[in-house]
Amino acid sequence: MNLPHPELYGLLGEFDSPERLMDAAKKIREAGYRRIDAFVPFPVEGLSQALGLGRKHDLVPLLTLIGGLGGGLTGFFFQVWVNMSSYPMNIAGRPLNSWPAFIPVTFELTVLGGSLFAVFGMLALNKLPQPHHPLFNVERFKRASNDKFFLCIEAHDPKFHLEETARLLQSVNAQHVTEVRDED
Amino acid sequence: MSAQEYKAPESVGRLEKRALVVGVLGLVVSIVGWITKPEDFFRSYLVAFLLVLGLSLGSLGLLMLLHLTGGQWGILIRRPLESATRVLWLVFAFFLPIPLFGMKFLYAAWLDAPKTGEGALSPLQQSYLTRGGFVFRGFVYFAIWLALMLLLNAMSRQQDVDREDRALRRRLKFFAGPGIILYVFAMTFAAIDWSMSLSPHWASTIYGFLFVAGQAISAMSLMIIMVILFSHAEPFAHIIQKRHLHDLGKLLFTFNMLWAYFSFSQLLIIWSGNQPEEITFYKSRLFGGWGAVAALVLVLHFFIPFFALLSRDVKRNQAVLPKIAMWLIAMRCLDLFWLTRPEFTSRALPTLWDFAAVLALGGIWLWFFAVQLKQQPLLPLGEPKLAEAIANHEH
Repeated sequence: MNLPHPELYGLLGEFDSPERLMDAAKKIREAGYRRIDAFVPFPVEGLSQALGLGRKHDLVPLLTLIGGLGGGLTGFFFQVWVNMSSYPMNIAGRPLNSWPAFIPVTFELTVLGGSLFAVFGMLALNKLPQPHHPLFNVERFKRASNDKFFLCIEAHDPKFHLEETARLLQSVNAQHVTEVRDED
Repeated sequence: MSAQEYKAPESVGRLEKRALVVGVLGLVVSIVGWITKPEDFFRSYLVAFLLVLGLSLGSLGLLMLLHLTGGQWGILIRRPLESATRVLWLVFAFFLPIPLFGMKFLYAAWLDAPKTGEGALSPLQQSYLTRGGFVFRGFVYFAIWLALMLLLNAMSRQQDVDREDRALRRRLKFFAGPGIILYVFAMTFAAIDWSMSLSPHWASTIYGFLFVAGQAISAMSLMIIMVILFSHAEPFAHIIQKRHLHDLGKLLFTFNMLWAYFSFSQLLIIWSGNQPEEITFYKSRLFGGWGAVAALVLVLHFFIPFFALLSRDVKRNQAVLPKIAMWLIAMRCLDLFWLTRPEFTSRALPTLWDFAAVLALGGIWLWFFAVQLKQQPLLPLGEPKLAEAIANHEH
């Protein structure tokens, strides 16, 4: 590890087109950096792949499956418990475990569990909501929601070195390189 | 690209030969069955007929759905779908033995029902369920389906010639809308005649849709298998991409859920109503040996394909997806077996004739399908969106 920069969040490179940003992202990954992120005003096709954000690390589908199965099983067995043990009632001579009648609620709770886990799982994995972020300290960063494309190499990347990383960003055609500091 | 480049690969020729061999072998055993045990044989024949009917009609339905929605998912399978609809002539020929020879074995429940007293059918049923009516309506259903098939195929062929004629595209769409309604309508009545009337005292309004959804599963499964078969040779090896499989896999997943939804809706309504005349259907199908078959249908037809197809990786996997598709076609046989056979016997086991009839009709159907595939380029060259649909932009 290089010299610690306790308040340093990372280095921000600014690009003026999505093509340049994609190109830079690929080269920076080739240089061995892993803790990188991009900020763009509109969705750029292929950017996730260029950043190396594979589906392998995406936990949302698994969380949705767990939520759906959990919701469905809860819904079904809750009704089984109510109808067979907690408050058994003979309804027109049907068996107490009247399972076809339990399916609509089971289905609804599967959908509910799956969607709740998907939405809140996604938020949690993205560490949202996040009222403050060090990038907000950079005045130019406001243009990420307008007309500029940014790439940030975070300081806790094992390969991060203030001067070398800045040089790398310049060599891949960043128009501006800014140090991002987490300060008040 | 020229039409020559998109002709059927050699694998279709191999399919043609093998299917014919299987079909003829099945036919030989079937004829033995027909002669020695006509009663048992026609029960098997009905299952096999409904299966191959589903392959052709499901393709007709998907073809019209494709013309209506204009999705890219179907451009790659449009020619195989059209080829499968042209096999409808053969399916019509397969229908003929039922009114000619099989009716007394299959539909004795209403042919020989008493006119009055206990077990008599209502006057309306007595006027509807007659031998003449059954035959006449059968011809009407096939006339509707064959007319739709001829119309859609003729316009599609025309499109290959007049590639700039955009009016054809609109006309295909124009006929596809009412066509879907006609197909579903005719299928509802056909399902009543050919299958529901096995138990003439029982009725269900969703019954036709069970068949429509099942036919969509059969046809989509077949299309997935064909797409993978084509993809083993050039030029299709470079055209067919994972995104195409993903789309077809998603539709197969959807149709399987739709079928399960229709099937369960029928059970839920009858279970809730609990009327003596309605529950007979499930009394003979959910208990004893047939109950075990019902559990198999639930687990093997719905749950296993459902959980397998839930995964994106499975839908994009060209080794696994066609296996699921073949599995689902086999499950269609099981479901049709479970729908029809309990009206005849409480013995929930298939006979030799079941296998023979399915292999005979299925083999001959596939042979004729392969013959049809060879007749035209395998991609719709006049389709305006073709270039977009086969463009290589894999992510």
